[in-house]
Amino acid sequence: MMTRRHIAALGVALWFGILALTPLLADNYTIRIAITIAMYSAMALSWNFIGGFAGYPSFSTAAFFGIGCYVGAIAQRSGVPLVVAWALATVFVTVFAVALGAIILRLKGHYFAIGSIAIVEVVRLVVSSWGGLTGGGDGLNVPLLSGGPDRVATTVLYVMLAIMLAAFVVTILVDRARLGFGLRCISQNEDAADMVGIDTTRYKIAAYALSALFCGTVGAVYASWVGYIDPTDSFSILLSVKVPVMVLLGGAGTVLGPIIGAGAFVMLEEFFWANFLEWNRAILGGIIVFLIFFLPSGILKLDYRRLFRRKSPVDRTEAA
Amino acid sequence: MFGKPRKSAVLTAAAIALASAATLSAASAPAWAQDVLRIGAPLALTGGLADEGKKQESVWQLWLDKINAAGGIKVGGKTMKVEIIKYDYQTDGKRAGQLAEKLITDDKVDVLMAPFGSGHTKIIAAVTERYQVPLLACVASSESVYDQSFKYLFGTLAPNSGMTDAMAALYKQKLPTLKKIAIYGRDDVFPKSMATSMATSAKAAGIEVAYNELYAVGTMDHSAAISAIKAAGADWIYMTGYTQDLILGRKQLNDLGVKAPIITMVTGPAYKEFTDGLGDLADGVTSSTWWHHATAYTGAAGVWPSTEAFYKDFTTAFKSDPDYVHASCAAAADVLVNAVQKAGSTDKAKVRDALEATDMLTFYGPIKFGPNHMNLGRDMPIIQVQGKDIKVLYPASIANAEMKLIK
Repeated sequence: MMTRRHIAALGVALWFGILALTPLLADNYTIRIAITIAMYSAMALSWNFIGGFAGYPSFSTAAFFGIGCYVGAIAQRSGVPLVVAWALATVFVTVFAVALGAIILRLKGHYFAIGSIAIVEVVRLVVSSWGGLTGGGDGLNVPLLSGGPDRVATTVLYVMLAIMLAAFVVTILVDRARLGFGLRCISQNEDAADMVGIDTTRYKIAAYALSALFCGTVGAVYASWVGYIDPTDSFSILLSVKVPVMVLLGGAGTVLGPIIGAGAFVMLEEFFWANFLEWNRAILGGIIVFLIFFLPSGILKLDYRRLFRRKSPVDRTEAA
Repeated sequence: MFGKPRKSAVLTAAAIALASAATLSAASAPAWAQDVLRIGAPLALTGGLADEGKKQESVWQLWLDKINAAGGIKVGGKTMKVEIIKYDYQTDGKRAGQLAEKLITDDKVDVLMAPFGSGHTKIIAAVTERYQVPLLACVASSESVYDQSFKYLFGTLAPNSGMTDAMAALYKQKLPTLKKIAIYGRDDVFPKSMATSMATSAKAAGIEVAYNELYAVGTMDHSAAISAIKAAGADWIYMTGYTQDLILGRKQLNDLGVKAPIITMVTGPAYKEFTDGLGDLADGVTSSTWWHHATAYTGAAGVWPSTEAFYKDFTTAFKSDPDYVHASCAAAADVLVNAVQKAGSTDKAKVRDALEATDMLTFYGPIKFGPNHMNLGRDMPIIQVQGKDIKVLYPASIANAEMKLIK
C-alpha cells in the first residue's frame, strides 16, 4: 500500500512533470506561466528557509533578485559566458547575503522586517545612482538569448525548473538535517535555542544565505530572458511582499508549502487578471485578506476532516 | 518530512485541477478571421502610468471608431476590418513582457503598439524582436531604446537631443543676462536623458551649469535639492520628470521661496493635468514638447487630413485638449495602416519592410524613420503656460506668443 509520504512525493513529481511538459502541450504563453510558476516557486522555497524555518520575516527577496539581475547582466555585457554569468550572480548574491546577514540578523522581529525592507531600497538607490556601471535609470540591455521564441521559452523553463528542483532538494535536506531542527528551535524560542547549544547566529546566517542563493540565480536567468532590466522593475517592493504571501498561503516552514503556495498564487493571479480586468487587483487583495484570516497557517494545514465532518451521518442526526 | 500526506494528496489534486483550468482558459483564443488587421496593445491602465495608458486607450478608440465608421481599410483591393486588442499590464514590467507574448502567441496579432515610457517599450521590444513582429513605439523618445539596432522596432517621436539646443538658444536670446542654470532630473530613462542633454546644450550656449543632480524614482520630497538650487542662485531652473514629480517640485520651489525668471519643467505643461494640478503656480512655466495642436499640418494622409480636423474630433469627444501622447499614438496607428496598405497584406516581414520605407505626412507631422528607426528630428515646439492657456514660443512659424519671464 502506498503511504502518505509516497502520495506526496508522487504529487510533487507529477507537478514537476506537468510544468516540464508544457512546451509539448501548450503555446508559448502557457509556457510563460509555467516559467513564472517555477521562478516564484524557487524564490518561495528560498524565502521559506529564513521566513518559514527560522521564523524571521525577511523582506529582502527583491534585493537578492535585483542584485542577481544586475550581476548577471553586467557579467554578460563584459563578455562572460551565459552560464558562468548566472553562476557568478549566484555566488555574489550569496556572499552579499552572508555579509549582510552578519549585521542585520542581530535585529529581531519587527525591527528585522523593517531592516530587510530598507535593504531593498538602499540597494535600489545604489544601483540607480551608480550610473557608470549599471546604466542608472536608463537600465541595461542584456544580450538576447539566441534561437527562436520557442527555443528560448523552453530553455528558460528548464533552467528555472532546475533551479526550483535544486531549491526543493536543499529544502528536503535542510528539513532533515540538524540545520532545519536548529532553525525551528530558533523560530520557537531563540534564547532557549541558544541555551541548549545551538549556534543561533551561524544558523540564522546560513538560513539567510540560503534564502538569497536561489534568488540570485533566478534574477540572473530572468535578466537574460527579458533582455532589459531597470532598477524599478528589478527591485520592486511588490516582489518582496508577493513571495512571503505565497509561502504563507501554502504553509510556512513546511517542505511542500512554498511550491503549493507559489503555484496557487500565480494561477489565481492569472485567473483573476484574465477574467476581471478592472477589478483583478482588488479581488486578489480580498483573497489574500481572506486567506490570512481563515487559513492562518496555509493550505497545507487546512483540516479537511473538519470540513467534511458535517456531512457524516452522525452530524446529520445531531443537526436534526 | 512529508508531514501530513493525506492533505498533501488532496492538495496536489486541487493544484492539478487548477492548472488544467488555467491552461484551458488561456487556450481559448478569440475567433480568427482573415480580413482583419489585428493590433495588439499592452497598456498601463492601472498603476503608476495609468494616466498615460488611458490616453493611449482613448485616442486609439477614437481612431478605431473613425476607421470602422468608414467600413475598414483598403488593402490590396479588398477591405479589411481593424481590431485593437488591449490588456492592462498594471505598470509592471514583468507583466508587460508577458502580455506582449500573450498577444503574439494567443491572440495572434499582426503588429504591436508599445505602451508609454521608454523602459517598458524596451522590455516589449525584446519580445517582438524574438518573434519578429513589428512594434510601433509612439511614446518612447530616448535614443537608448533604439540603440540595439532592433529590426522590428519603430518610434514616432523624434530624438530628444534636438529639443534642448533650441531651448538654450531661445532663452539666451530672450534673456541676455541668463548666466546660470540649475538642472534637476528624474533618474529614469527619458527624464534623465533630457537632463543630461540639457547640461550639454547649456554649456554649448555659454550658460554655467550651477547645479546638476538626479533624483530617484519615487522621491516624495525635493526640499533638500531645492535648498541647494536656491543656494546656487540660478536664473533658470530646469526640472525633468513625470507630471506628479513636477507638480510636487513646483510647489516646493514656491514653498521654499525660490525665485527664478525662467522655470522649465519637462514635459509638465504638455499635460493638462499639470496645469490643472498647479493652478496659478503653473503660470510662466515653460517646456519643450513633441507636438502641440497649434502646429497646423494640412493635406495629411491617414484618418485625419489636418491637425485641425484631429483637434476638432478630439475636443468634441473628450472635451479637453489633446497632448503629444494622443497625437503621436494616433499618428502611429496611421503609419501602421499605411505600411499594411503598402505591403498589401498583414505579412509581418512585409509590413516591417514597408514601415522602414515610410515617408508620409500625418496630422501629427512628417514621419520618416532614421537609421535607428526613430522618427527623424524636426523643430519641436517650446511652450509656455500663460494665464490659463498654453502658448507656443517656438518655432517662429507657429509661435503665437512672446515669452514671459516669471516675476
